Amino acid sequence: MKIGIIGIGLTDFRIHKEPFYNLAFEAAKKAVNDAGIDRGDIDSFVLGGYDNLGVGRTIANMYVAPAAGGYLRHEIRVADDAAFALPMACMRILAGLSDICIVVGFGTTSEIPLELVELQSLDPLFYRPTNLSIWAYYAIQKYAYSSKFGVDEERIAECVVRDRKNARSNPYAFKREELKLDDVLNSEYSVYPLRKLETAANCDGAVALILAEGTIAKRLSDSVVWIKGFGWSNSNYYFEDFERLPATKFAAKMAMKKAKMDNIKAFENYEVMDLVSNHQLMILEALGLADWGKGYEIADSLNLNSSGGALSTNAYGTTGLFLLANAAIKLREGLFDSSLVHAMSGYARRSCVSLLGV
Amino acid sequence: MRRVAIVGVGQTKFRTRREDKTHPELAFEAVKKTLEHSGLNINDIEAVVYGSMDPFDGIYRPELWDSTSSGIFKPHMKISTGGTTGLTTALAAYEHVASGLFDVVLAIAVQRVGECADAQSVLNTAVDPIYERHSGVGAIHVASFQATRYMHEFKATEEDIAWVSVKDHKNALKNPYAHIKMDVTVEDVLKSPVICSPLKLLECCPRSDGAAAAIFASEEVAKKIRDNPAWILGEVTISDNYYIGDRPNLAVWDSLALAGRRLYRAVGIDDPKKDIDVAELYSAFSIQEILELEALGFAKPGEGKDYAKNGITFPDGDIPTNPSGGVLCTNPIGASGLIRIIEASLQVMGEASNQVENARVALAHAWGGTLQFHTLFMVSSSKKFGR
Amino acid sequence: MEIVEFESFWNIPYKHSAGKHASKFFHALKEKKILGVKCPKCNRVLVPPRAFCERCFVECNDWVELKDEGVVETLSVTYVKFTGLPDPPYAVGVVKLDGADTGFLAYLGGIDLKDWKKVHEKFKPGTRVKAVWKDRPEGKITDILYFKPVEL
Repeated sequence: MKIGIIGIGLTDFRIHKEPFYNLAFEAAKKAVNDAGIDRGDIDSFVLGGYDNLGVGRTIANMYVAPAAGGYLRHEIRVADDAAFALPMACMRILAGLSDICIVVGFGTTSEIPLELVELQSLDPLFYRPTNLSIWAYYAIQKYAYSSKFGVDEERIAECVVRDRKNARSNPYAFKREELKLDDVLNSEYSVYPLRKLETAANCDGAVALILAEGTIAKRLSDSVVWIKGFGWSNSNYYFEDFERLPATKFAAKMAMKKAKMDNIKAFENYEVMDLVSNHQLMILEALGLADWGKGYEIADSLNLNSSGGALSTNAYGTTGLFLLANAAIKLREGLFDSSLVHAMSGYARRSCVSLLGV
Repeated sequence: MRRVAIVGVGQTKFRTRREDKTHPELAFEAVKKTLEHSGLNINDIEAVVYGSMDPFDGIYRPELWDSTSSGIFKPHMKISTGGTTGLTTALAAYEHVASGLFDVVLAIAVQRVGECADAQSVLNTAVDPIYERHSGVGAIHVASFQATRYMHEFKATEEDIAWVSVKDHKNALKNPYAHIKMDVTVEDVLKSPVICSPLKLLECCPRSDGAAAAIFASEEVAKKIRDNPAWILGEVTISDNYYIGDRPNLAVWDSLALAGRRLYRAVGIDDPKKDIDVAELYSAFSIQEILELEALGFAKPGEGKDYAKNGITFPDGDIPTNPSGGVLCTNPIGASGLIRIIEASLQVMGEASNQVENARVALAHAWGGTLQFHTLFMVSSSKKFGR
Repeated sequence: MEIVEFESFWNIPYKHSAGKHASKFFHALKEKKILGVKCPKCNRVLVPPRAFCERCFVECNDWVELKDEGVVETLSVTYVKFTGLPDPPYAVGVVKLDGADTGFLAYLGGIDLKDWKKVHEKFKPGTRVKAVWKDRPEGKITDILYFKPVEL
């Protein structure tokens, strides 16, 4: 059985002055219109995005379910970046329990104290008392990565330049000003050795995708984007392997295995959730596109982060789905024929990889 | 569509506080029991679905810390949907297997309400801060709204409703995992202090610490694991709008009635009273069992109030409801929904502590949000419904 | 061996945007007016006002001024102190305002709350109630102090 994306809806990604459920409504409504269907055609509603501290509202899906169109319908919420909700939606369709399913994600980074929120995910006994913010952890990763593999400062900073260059031509991205290498290298530090310009561009927004079982997808759309495979994984809670991203490695392996594909280098586009500069290279390596420490060698030869990546747009809760939507839009436009989309969460210890094609 | 069964279950003993274990250690206790019950080991588990209602335990995203207890480098999914969490976690695990992508999936739900100073203040953070949070409303209040309205519409008395509490407490005495073990009379219930009128202390659920887990397996694998798996006949979940004021009539849980109809149609149930042998319903407050029985077609509107009083919902009655003692006696909020399907499964497996005779078809239910969500599951000792 | 215990307090600040629709509602409260929105498709008048009708899945931008009077649908009086929640006793209920199709969660007051049976009798479902406003409304939901019974 095949699963296709037949509708895509995104709000602007910027700082919004509307509550998260109104953003979710906007995205869902756009997706429904894009697919040319009605809310009533959707039988299942799979929500993604964070709850309680991550949004400032406990049981946030109470508000998002009706906004997504789920009034008196089947709704479930995967509490993670919305990219992680895609497998849930696909499994329901594969099980034969759904024909048309909507996936909705949102992020309202501007309303929350992000670092304080993520800090609470560390256990209260051992890690939280160290006040290790996400940026401090990612900075440790940068330091470990660059010293273990001997990767220069410039190579890592280039990742920002790369993303911003692409964001310039992506109308959906948030931060679209190009940056030169010197701009990045001369900017102020966030947590040493990470510079502020090397960290994700926080904003708000919502994304909705309408998925359909293959036979129905072909009837409803002439430009279906097919979901060829997906995989996801956790990794050890206790910090180890600072210079690698094992969850990404396992998620990608699973995705390729389930899709019965064997060449991960064969995708025509890659969208990766680089929450900081060094992540971009680390992700390429974890995916198996380059040896450890050699990500910079292939970064420019790939069609990488045409969306601008998370360094240009990061709505905490839906960045992964944002990257996916961007890839899907470009697949529809015929800019490339296949895409691997990566997402991660939880101090980079969880990852979800989706494979798209036409 | 693949047939899926529950092949192993596990629960920790529920207490006000499990100060002897950390969060992941508590999760591990449930995982270990479940593996023992199924005869599997951790490497047999291909994917994990984890449920918890986060803020209660004082940890944001406890699944990160707890994933050490259920296997790392596995696909691990976090489900969180308020009170229905435990059962939507089961739903997600079921769909993992039903999709054909996995053969053995673990569903685990953990909650440590005992670590939180006050559950109601946390529940208040669920209430809309823009329009409603100032009103000091938590879970008890919405149930008491139901009670006030039901008593007004159907002329139910406080005694009628108190009988549900008497039944649940008696049942819990037979459940080795239950939290509250107290034999109470109607007078005891009526004399207990009023919390939110008209509900009294003994009509409200406790705050419990604990974890529960269940293993879902595909048909081919299930048959190899045990002779008496609990087959999943069907599942339904429904979401109403958020605002409590949108409910047409708080004495009638119409969204649950809708969900029930859909499940019965899917499974082939003609008459729930005759076709279902036992029900584990999420009744966190005495009044709720009454509304649930009526919404699910076990009783006509207004009739539900007499069921407990007349013994109909006791284990030896016609419609045994919550023989485990239910949520009223054990409520580790995010796990309570999973416990409902665990108890329902034990019933049809013939292994329940308060076993209903000849239980072959069982219903599990959970509700969540502002009386907003419902999840239902039907399990059976047979692969398909039909006698 | 003694188990180590320690306290932890969460003090996490948020700044929530009410959005255009709720903001309009709050500005109207300053004039002691309660506004609802009307769905252009099903014609229901919804309060609290919201950006979209969940049934019809369309935006709602037609505003309706409602009376600050209505009928009690249900209520409950709280007698226990919960951390961070108001001191007991306090009565909360759902009030169907005249002109609205949905109920409004609000405090009920103006009478002694000591005996819940008396409160339930005085405010029983169907009772007409009217809002008691703050003398100087600030554009917050608490401008409506509570709803009290309308003595005929």
